[in-house]
Amino acid sequence: MASSSSSGLTFKLHPLVIVNISDHYTRVKSQMNPPPLTSTSTTVNGVEPLQQAPRVYGCVIGVQRGRTVEIFNSFELLYDPSTHSLDRPFLEKKQELYKKVFPHFYILGWYSTGSDAQESDMHIHKALMDINESPLYVLLNPTINPAQKDLPVTIYESELHVIDGIPQLIFVRSSYTIETVEAERISVDHVAHLKPSDGGSAATQLAAHLTGIHSAIKMLNSRIRVLHHYLVGMQKGDVPCENSLLRQVSSLLRRLPAIESEKFQDDFLMEYNDTLLITYLAMFTNCSSTMNELVDKFNTAYDRHSRRGGRTAFI
Amino acid sequence: MDSAVAQKTWELENNILAAEAPDPSSDSIFHYDEVAQAKFLKDKPWANDPHFFKRVKISALALLKMVVHARSGGTIEVMGLMQGKTDGDAIIVMDAFALPVEGTETRVNAQADAYEYMVDYSQTNKQAGRLENVVGWYHSHPGYGCWLSGIDVSTQMLNQQFQEPFLAVVIDPTRTVSAGKVDIGAFRTYPEGYKPPDDHTSEYQTIPLNKIEDFGVHCKQYYALNITYFKSSLDSHLLDLLWNKYWVNTLSSSPLLGNGDYVAGQISDLAEKLEQAENQLIHSRIGPLGTSRKKEESQLAKITRDSSKITVEQVHGLMSQVLKNILFNSVGQQNRNEQPVSDPMIEA
Repeated sequence: MASSSSSGLTFKLHPLVIVNISDHYTRVKSQMNPPPLTSTSTTVNGVEPLQQAPRVYGCVIGVQRGRTVEIFNSFELLYDPSTHSLDRPFLEKKQELYKKVFPHFYILGWYSTGSDAQESDMHIHKALMDINESPLYVLLNPTINPAQKDLPVTIYESELHVIDGIPQLIFVRSSYTIETVEAERISVDHVAHLKPSDGGSAATQLAAHLTGIHSAIKMLNSRIRVLHHYLVGMQKGDVPCENSLLRQVSSLLRRLPAIESEKFQDDFLMEYNDTLLITYLAMFTNCSSTMNELVDKFNTAYDRHSRRGGRTAFI
Repeated sequence: MDSAVAQKTWELENNILAAEAPDPSSDSIFHYDEVAQAKFLKDKPWANDPHFFKRVKISALALLKMVVHARSGGTIEVMGLMQGKTDGDAIIVMDAFALPVEGTETRVNAQADAYEYMVDYSQTNKQAGRLENVVGWYHSHPGYGCWLSGIDVSTQMLNQQFQEPFLAVVIDPTRTVSAGKVDIGAFRTYPEGYKPPDDHTSEYQTIPLNKIEDFGVHCKQYYALNITYFKSSLDSHLLDLLWNKYWVNTLSSSPLLGNGDYVAGQISDLAEKLEQAENQLIHSRIGPLGTSRKKEESQLAKITRDSSKITVEQVHGLMSQVLKNILFNSVGQQNRNEQPVSDPMIEA
C-alpha cells in the first residue's frame, strides 16, 4: 500500500495538530478506562483491567497555496460504527463554527489513530472526497515506544493505481516537514522542557537561552557526523557508492557560506552596534540610578540643613 | 563532569522537577468524573472564601492553542473560552477555543453571536467526547503585559457572580516572542468591597505609560494564581520526538528581526518614563527624605529594571545571530578572527 507519493505536493504539519490528536486520543482512552478509585481494586481481581485502545477520528484543516499544503489545526469528528463512516451533519456543523474563527482554513483531510492504514479507512477517505478532491489522511500511532526515533505520524494521500487491471484507489505515503511559527515554537518548547517560567535573574535567562541553542547545535553536529561517517565509509569502500547522495552532499557544502555580501556585513555590523548601544545606554541608566541613590543617602547622612549644624554622622 | 554539576546546580536553583518517565497512570487527570464535579459545583466552597482557588493547571494543548490564537491576532486583542474542571483549590484547564469576537467591541457583554457560537461549540464538543464545562475565559494584551484592565475586571466580577467557578487568563503574545518564554497570567477578582488581607507584591512587569493608570487603579481588585502545566504521557513522547524535527526552527529563529517594532516602542516608552522620573526627582530633591521610599522602588529603579530587561532580550537575539554567523558564514573567512561577544551581565 505504501509507496512514495508522486503528486509533487509538499506537506507542512504544525505541532498543534499533533498535540490535538494526542489529546483527543488520551481523553477518549481515559474516559473508557476510568482510573482505579483505590489501589486495592485492581489487586482484588488479580487481573489488570484491559486497557482498550480506541480509534479516534477527526478532521484536519489548513491552507493550500499552490503546491504547498500547510496543516494548521484539527478538530474531532464522530464515527458511526454501523455505517463505517463519519457523521456528516456533525462535520458540517463543526466546519461552520471553525470557519467563523479561522476564515482562511479549509478542510484538507482527516486523521485517525492506529498503527497502520487499513482497508476500511479508504471508505471514509472516499466519503470526504466531495469536500476536498484529494484529501489527506493523517495517521498517528499512539503506542509509546521508547526506542522510537521518528515521529509516529504519517501522512497518506490517495492515488489511482491500476492493480490487476482494475483502477483502485490506494494510500501512498508522503513525506512532510514540521512547520511552526515563533509563538508556537516557544510554547511547545515551554511545555516540552518545562523551562523556568519565572524571569529569574539575568543569569538564568541567559543560561536557558543558550541551552536551547546549544541543544539545537548539538543536533546539527550529530547529523553532520552521521553524514561524515557515511562518506568516510563510502571512501573506504565499505558502503556502495551512491552518486545521487554524493551530489546532494556536494550541493549542500556549496551552500556555505550562507550569505556573503557587502550589504549583509554592513547590516550585521549595524545590528551589532545597535545592540551594543542599547547595552551602553542601559548601563548608563543603571549607573545614574545608583549615583542618584548614593547622593540621596549622602544627603540624608550628612544633612547640612539640620539644626545640629556641621557634619555629623547619622547614627 | 563539570557540565553535569553545573546542570544539577541550575536545575536545583530553578526548582525544576526531575522529569520522570511519565507512566500512563498519570494520565488520570484527563478523566472527567461527572459525579465528583457535580458534587463540587453544588458544595460551592468558594462562596465563603474569595481567595479559595490558588492554583491553575493548564494542559499543553490549551496553552498551545491560546498562544497561537493570541499571536494570530497580531496587535488586535482576541479572546476565547477555556474548558476544564476543578480539583480542590486548583482549576484545571484542559482545552481552549477561540471566539469570533472583534477586539474593538466592548466585552462587558459579548455579542449574541458569540453566545450562540459558545453554545453550539460546547454542544458539539460534548458529543465528540469532550465533557468538560467552560471554566474561564482568556484574552490577549499584545505588547502591554498580563494584567486585568478596568473593563476586564468588571467582566470578570460579573462572571464570578453568575458563572462560578470562572477564571480569567491573559496572554501577551508579543512579549512571549520577544522574551522567548510564554508571558501568561491567571487571575480571579475579589468581590466588591473586599479588602485583601495582605499587601502581597506580584511579580514586577513593565507597563507602557498610556496603560499605567488603568493598571494602577484596578491592580488591587484581583489576585494572580500560580500556573503550572501538565501533559499526557503520549504528549511528552511526541514532543520529545518532535524536537528531532524542529531543532532547525530553534536555530533559525531571529527574534531581533521579528520584534524590531516592539523594541522600538519599548524604548520610546522608556524615554517618556525617564522624563517623568526626571521631573519627579527634581522636585523631591530638597529636604531630608522620608522613609516612605523604602517600601516602593523609586521611579528610576523601575526604569533601570525595564531598560535591563530590554537589553537582555536584545543581547540574546544578537547572540543567536552571531552564533549563526559563525556556524554558517565563517567557512570562507578563516583569516578573519571572529570577535567573541562581550557579554555584559546586567543584574536586574
